[in-house]
Amino acid sequence: MELIIEKKKIKEWLVVLGKDFKVVDTRKKVLPPKQYFFPVKEDLFSFDLKSKKLKTIDQSENILLLISSLNKLEAMTQLDEIMEKPQKDFFYWQKRDKSVLVGIVDESIKVPYGGDLVLEKINQKEYRTWVLNSKGRNLLKDKFFKKVLKPRTINYPSKPNIFKEKLLDSELLAEAVEWSWQSNHKIWNELAEKCLGCGICTYVCPLCHCFSMEDQVSLDNSKCFRCRQWDACTLPRFSQIAGGHNFHKTIKERYYNWYYHKFVRAYRQYGKAQCVACGACKDNCPAGIKIGEVLKEIVKDYKKR
Amino acid sequence: MKNIYKPFKVEIVKIEEHSSDVKLFRLQKEKGHFSVNDQGIVFNPGQFVLVSNFGYGEAPFGIASSPFEARYVDILVRRAGCLTKALHQLKKGDQLFLRGPYGNGFPIDFMSGKDVIMVTGGCGIPPMAALTEYIIEKKWKFGRVYLIYGARTPADLLMKDNLEKWDKDIKVILTVDQPDKNWKGHVGMVSKIVKEIKVDPLDAVAAMCGPGPMMDALEYILRPLGVSDRRIFVNMERKMQCGVGKCQHCTVGDKFVCQDGPVFNFDEIDKAWD
Amino acid sequence: MSKPKIAIFEFTDCEGCEVEIVSLREKLLVLEKRVDIVNWRLGQENNQPGPYDVTIIEGTPITQDEVDRLKKLREESKVLIGLGACACLGGIPAIIDTKKRKEFYKKIYGEKYKPRGIDAMPLAAYVKVDFLIHGCPVNNQEVVRIISELLAGRTPQYRGYSVCFECKQAGNECRLLNKKPCLGPITQGGCNAVCISGGSPCYGCFGNREGAEVKNLLKILNKITDQKEIDRYFSMFLNRTKN
Repeated sequence: MELIIEKKKIKEWLVVLGKDFKVVDTRKKVLPPKQYFFPVKEDLFSFDLKSKKLKTIDQSENILLLISSLNKLEAMTQLDEIMEKPQKDFFYWQKRDKSVLVGIVDESIKVPYGGDLVLEKINQKEYRTWVLNSKGRNLLKDKFFKKVLKPRTINYPSKPNIFKEKLLDSELLAEAVEWSWQSNHKIWNELAEKCLGCGICTYVCPLCHCFSMEDQVSLDNSKCFRCRQWDACTLPRFSQIAGGHNFHKTIKERYYNWYYHKFVRAYRQYGKAQCVACGACKDNCPAGIKIGEVLKEIVKDYKKR
Repeated sequence: MKNIYKPFKVEIVKIEEHSSDVKLFRLQKEKGHFSVNDQGIVFNPGQFVLVSNFGYGEAPFGIASSPFEARYVDILVRRAGCLTKALHQLKKGDQLFLRGPYGNGFPIDFMSGKDVIMVTGGCGIPPMAALTEYIIEKKWKFGRVYLIYGARTPADLLMKDNLEKWDKDIKVILTVDQPDKNWKGHVGMVSKIVKEIKVDPLDAVAAMCGPGPMMDALEYILRPLGVSDRRIFVNMERKMQCGVGKCQHCTVGDKFVCQDGPVFNFDEIDKAWD
Repeated sequence: MSKPKIAIFEFTDCEGCEVEIVSLREKLLVLEKRVDIVNWRLGQENNQPGPYDVTIIEGTPITQDEVDRLKKLREESKVLIGLGACACLGGIPAIIDTKKRKEFYKKIYGEKYKPRGIDAMPLAAYVKVDFLIHGCPVNNQEVVRIISELLAGRTPQYRGYSVCFECKQAGNECRLLNKKPCLGPITQGGCNAVCISGGSPCYGCFGNREGAEVKNLLKILNKITDQKEIDRYFSMFLNRTKN
């Protein structure tokens, strides 16, 4: 038995859900869904400089995100894990706990790797529901969903993504990336001649989660806010300490660090690369660097070595 | 859900001037003591705390007091940036906020039963101070113990009272780069120091606080003594923000200084690409 | 403790950056509780002579008189801050074709004319400047940030990120990807990417970001447009940084 919703009813269903949730359509946003739980800039604490009282700031709200890409749904599952281990990131989960993720996917699904409820397009008029947990189940309203024994199903194949397959062998990727640096592969010099260090790849990545913290004092000197803001490992100050020493002096080192984090350190820490092959970094890179191609070349040369 | 970013209040109960630009701050919890773990210590020597001075931010400091002391922790602050400048202006009775202790600290179980050579310089004394206090308290567990401590000038040597006190139980070897007229110790991190050290190289461990004297200490002291890289433990410094393994600033290769460190064995660090 | 004395002066420029300060409105009143603005021609009638704790200077000197006045202000000020692109980079007065100018001199004033003015250069060409508040015009929130930092006894820091950070937050499409020139990636953030959001390119009025990869951007620009156009883009604010 399948649970089906008609395409034309989705809008109506969302209006009903809008009573309980702030519904956000992430499908046309430049920045990935992470921004709703790990905002670009957020105040964590306020400290009253007179009374010396410390207050934790709560900016959470019931929010429902519509996500159209299976990769981005998968990224949310991974980001949850990152923010869960070894200790829960309080401010992420403060918001994440109150949220639901709804996938509306126009391609056929084998297994959805993320989201609470996923709607999968099965023909021009209908979507099939995948209920992944109780959060997702609670969104089902009888009025809009009907049980169908064997719905008419058309196959909507996903776009071929060779890079996605490469990710399946995270161990090989980790070895190859590390080898490429140790063996002084020419690609890192070439990339250092291309990369602008602007950080866009990290901002649009659904998994990048570097941040910096700083205190800001209100103009009237009554309050201090401790805030955290996205940082980017391609920026010069990322690894610079107070005395001025910089552990990643050149763009070459900084840009390599981005790969090292995603494909080596993450693999050792979590057993998989911190990448879902969504292509956002490639699509948004003003220097036209194709990350998948870089990895392809490295792996090819690694195998030949 | 525990808020890993929320610091707790402490009071400055004592301030000592240790050099022209370094002060010691003794920090006491507002209520109660620091909790003692099953090994009877408050923290592992080499662990650090993140100190908040609201308005100026947060920064890591190695704990310099004895790990058996549950009433307070001591930190040494060198006036360098905005935060430390502001700390230097505080007075006894002022409040600060604290998170931690964080990090791994020195592998005290592995180190016990062995000869220990500690090498550090300048402001790198706090983790060695805590380790020394630990070793002296559990003296029967350790072999011959040396603390080699270098500074620019004799006036830059910190924790002088403690250095004298420790010298009764362990051997403290002092060295400076620019001696004054009264200086009787060594000059520079030099090979002469090795002659004063008698350890069993197969059963000795070293603890260092990098990066200042690290390379010289390796070349002139630890290599000639024959201490293997895997038995050299280094307290590392990196840019640190979150202290809890999230923000990605403090990485050394595939490790986080804040969580996997700050203490690493030299072998491990030497292979890291950055 | 008495309140720190602030003075605001201007040399040759459009005064737009000072207007940004005026437009802080009620925030200026909050600020007035913590500082004394003792000299500000544009903002008030009663002005006092130096010395000052903080002197904010807008514009760039283009006569010897102005240069002398700048040097005197430096002596009278504990902290000297450049306000806006003209003070920080030379700005609009520095966009000049000196060859053409010579021709015009001849044509208009005759062969014997000796020009009085000197070429517009950043304040830092004449005196030590402690901090630059970039922008054409400045973002008044940045002015507030810098003054707050100084009041807290901290050394202000430049934004360590590119305009791209704020441009992505604004949800803009990348101009470079759309084959339109843009200096955003090499330019310091803090402007909220207003120009790009409004459909204009970034000409880099906030100055180069620390560690800007100018050469790498030039390679991209060369694929998009010709040398003349690239020169025009850099001539606005970043002439001194291209090579």
